[in-house]
Amino acid sequence: MAFFLRFVMRRAFQNMTGNLLSHLTTIAIIGISMLIFSSFSLIAFNLTSFLKVWEEKIEIIAYVKKGVASSDVEGLYKKIRQFEGVEAVRYVSSGDAMAFMELKLGHQKNLLDGIQPNILPSSFEIRLVKDFRNTDRIKGIVAQLRQLPQIDEIQYGQEWVETFLTLAHLFRITQWVLGGLLLMGIIFITFNTLQLTISSRKEEIEIMHILGASPAFIQVPFCIEGLIQGVVGTALAILLLFYLHYEVLLYKVFFLYITPSMKEWLAGVPILFLPPESIALILLGGMVLGLLGSFVASMRFLNYQV
Amino acid sequence: MIQLTHVSKTYPSQICALSDVTLEISDGEFTFLTGPSGSGKTTLLRILYCAERPTSGEVIVNGTHITEKGFRKIYQLRRTMGIVFQDFKLLRDRTVGQNIAFALEVTGHPPKEVKKKVSEILHRVGLQAREEDAVLSLSAGEQQRVAIARALVNDPPLLLADEPTGNLDDPMAGEVMQILGHLHHLGTTILFATHDTDLILRYPYRVIHLRGGRSVENAP
Repeated sequence: MAFFLRFVMRRAFQNMTGNLLSHLTTIAIIGISMLIFSSFSLIAFNLTSFLKVWEEKIEIIAYVKKGVASSDVEGLYKKIRQFEGVEAVRYVSSGDAMAFMELKLGHQKNLLDGIQPNILPSSFEIRLVKDFRNTDRIKGIVAQLRQLPQIDEIQYGQEWVETFLTLAHLFRITQWVLGGLLLMGIIFITFNTLQLTISSRKEEIEIMHILGASPAFIQVPFCIEGLIQGVVGTALAILLLFYLHYEVLLYKVFFLYITPSMKEWLAGVPILFLPPESIALILLGGMVLGLLGSFVASMRFLNYQV
Repeated sequence: MIQLTHVSKTYPSQICALSDVTLEISDGEFTFLTGPSGSGKTTLLRILYCAERPTSGEVIVNGTHITEKGFRKIYQLRRTMGIVFQDFKLLRDRTVGQNIAFALEVTGHPPKEVKKKVSEILHRVGLQAREEDAVLSLSAGEQQRVAIARALVNDPPLLLADEPTGNLDDPMAGEVMQILGHLHHLGTTILFATHDTDLILRYPYRVIHLRGGRSVENAP
């Protein structure tokens, strides 16, 4: 067994160094394919985190009727907190609302001079758990809130929420469909490239057949080569993507060409690189792609009979 | 060693390469398989080393029923035979020693044994001084000797040779025949396919003639 392993490893490395150009071409093709796939994953990852941040912003604001005693607010708060699907409730008093308004107006806060401090109604800002951030569930909670006599008006940006949720749903479907198609294309390209590399050694395989080499002696070195090509190609793709992400996208494009208003709009939504678990998954994917591609491509050369 | 019973081979294009061939070759025998081009010599050899299956009939090689349904261990059968071709089938980018060592490595021999056996076999075919040379730097006769050395390095009891002297001039063919004669003397069974009648007449070995896919004994 030890001899077998030593032989197949040595043979795989001899083959790679002996046919360097063809192996570099294969690595480059796998690398380019995986760069396209990991770029897509990076875009999808950032858009998903962007959607998550915006999803977090979905909330219901329930305005309290004027004249409701402060002592009733506590009971109202507890009641709303117990509704199914409510994650957090924040009470914004009339004074808090005015202070927020002043903050938003900044230098123009003198516009508020002369206005009664309690002109703005107090309200409850209700954040929902993830499963309740859809139109039907929101409407259900709004209906429950309407049952409360102390609640006056309810706002949740109905049109915005509906448009946003539809777009998010469409994006997620597109992400899976495009990702699937891209993956199929990459499998097809990698398989064909590996098959071409193996075909170029048809004569050598024929000699191995004649000499009585077992299928494992013939196939395993090809699988090791495929595995190495897959890992190296994918690692290079991730390194290149890392460079493009930080050096080009963030510092040469994002910080130079994005307008301040867009930056403000994007505030709190960082542009991230792929997380370590995604990198590990992509590397594993590249490794499996190379290994399985070589395995399948070499199968057709294992037939000892014509 | 070899037993063929009513063996026929018809290709999908309806070309009949072998028709009802029955023959037996005993252990240690040196046999010429002769006949004009297209008479079925190569097809017969290919059936013996399982590169092809006969359309009908039974074939036994070295005690193994290779035509039996479910016979899969072709590589194990090939380890019991050496095969030599007219075009040598050597790895052109390797040295003489590497080509021979390859036969041992792919059949799982440990490196120490590989080194020893390569050196011994090169001595037997008179190429010990060429071990480190690239095979392409050798003459055709020397390349065929490397191919023979590779076929024999595993000490197989059977050697199948398909026109091994076809690309060689007379003195080189003589050298190859000398090696094979010595091998026969040591007890290896040899089946030598050739259409060279002059060569056959020079040696006192058994001749099986193939004509139109049928075998005729001892008829040069």
